[in-house]
Amino acid sequence: MSVYVTVGSTGFDGLVRAACAQDFLQALADRGFCRLVVQCGASAGQFAPPAAALKTLGITVESFDYTDQPLRPVEQADLVICHAGTGSILDALRSGRATIAVVNPGLMDNHQREIALELTRGGFLALAEPGSLAQAVSDAVYAGLRPYPRADPSPIGEILDEETQH
Amino acid sequence: MQPGLLVGGAALLLLLLLVARLYFVLPGFGRPARAAAARRKKGKAVARGAPNKLLCIVLGSGGHTTEMMRLLQGVDFERYTRRLYIVGRGDGLSLSQLAALESTQGRRSEGHCVEQIPRSRSVGQSWLTAPVSVARCLARVVALLYEYSPDVILCNGPGNCVVVCAVALVPRILGLKHIPIIYVESFARVNTMSLSGKLVYPMADRFVVQWPGLARKYPRAECFTHLV
Repeated sequence: MSVYVTVGSTGFDGLVRAACAQDFLQALADRGFCRLVVQCGASAGQFAPPAAALKTLGITVESFDYTDQPLRPVEQADLVICHAGTGSILDALRSGRATIAVVNPGLMDNHQREIALELTRGGFLALAEPGSLAQAVSDAVYAGLRPYPRADPSPIGEILDEETQH
Repeated sequence: MQPGLLVGGAALLLLLLLVARLYFVLPGFGRPARAAAARRKKGKAVARGAPNKLLCIVLGSGGHTTEMMRLLQGVDFERYTRRLYIVGRGDGLSLSQLAALESTQGRRSEGHCVEQIPRSRSVGQSWLTAPVSVARCLARVVALLYEYSPDVILCNGPGNCVVVCAVALVPRILGLKHIPIIYVESFARVNTMSLSGKLVYPMADRFVVQWPGLARKYPRAECFTHLV
């Protein structure tokens, strides 16, 4: 199984550091993950996975800064761990992936908070902070999340049709 | 009678007539029947719109444009072959997203036009010079709508769209042409309406929100939770 960690279009030092932390990697191995992909964005400088630990845990790691096909690594992962931005959360949920959104304390606008909380309340999403990420994986908070329905923009076309009948 | 009184009376009468006219043409005043009727229609198979209508789409600023690109996945471009995009000047990101969408979706259609309008107010601009730039923006929008005469307007909340919707009301008030306005509030709005949403609410023929909490506060709004 593979996990994809993504910080989105800016950077999120705390998340990238948490993704390289020993206890997080241990939790991944315990839960049967053997592949970790990290999109670092502007936080590439924080990416320093412990090579020796990875070898003993049997986890392969891959990283990149940005991609022009942001959906591809999401679709290749079993678990997505993303910053709590609305775009990233929607990409992960609409792709049908189990998703943990990591909140950047102090750097989150109210709308993002509202959406993340609403989706968590609905049982579609798990929330964590960088400091609690390893524990969240260890507790398998991502198991048992409800699948989020696929996007259906067809009502917009229907409304247009109704309004232009005359 | 004094001439001043006469002019004053005439002005008052005109004002009253305008208010009465606004009451009759604005969907938001006192007539929830239309929205309700529209909702009732949803059960049946919907008759398709008459072909060859000009669809006007208002774009502006990052998040709104990304959402609009997703909303447009629900629109049959082979049906709406004529599309006019109104974009804020200097919004390169919207232009490139739009180019990407049109290159994948619009191959078999007659095509689309992109028109840029000056910003009504740029971030950090002094309020002293704001009226000048608002007037410039307004003039450009009036010229565009006159030139293209769109049949329907689809917008989702950038500040630009308030100006476009307000101008599109003029031919309706004058009884020349009813240009339906369809507004989709952003997915980011869970419990509170954006300023653009509040301003367009009384003008919009169809007002769509994406969270039930918002729909409860705005009775004319239709709620679709999985559009984007």
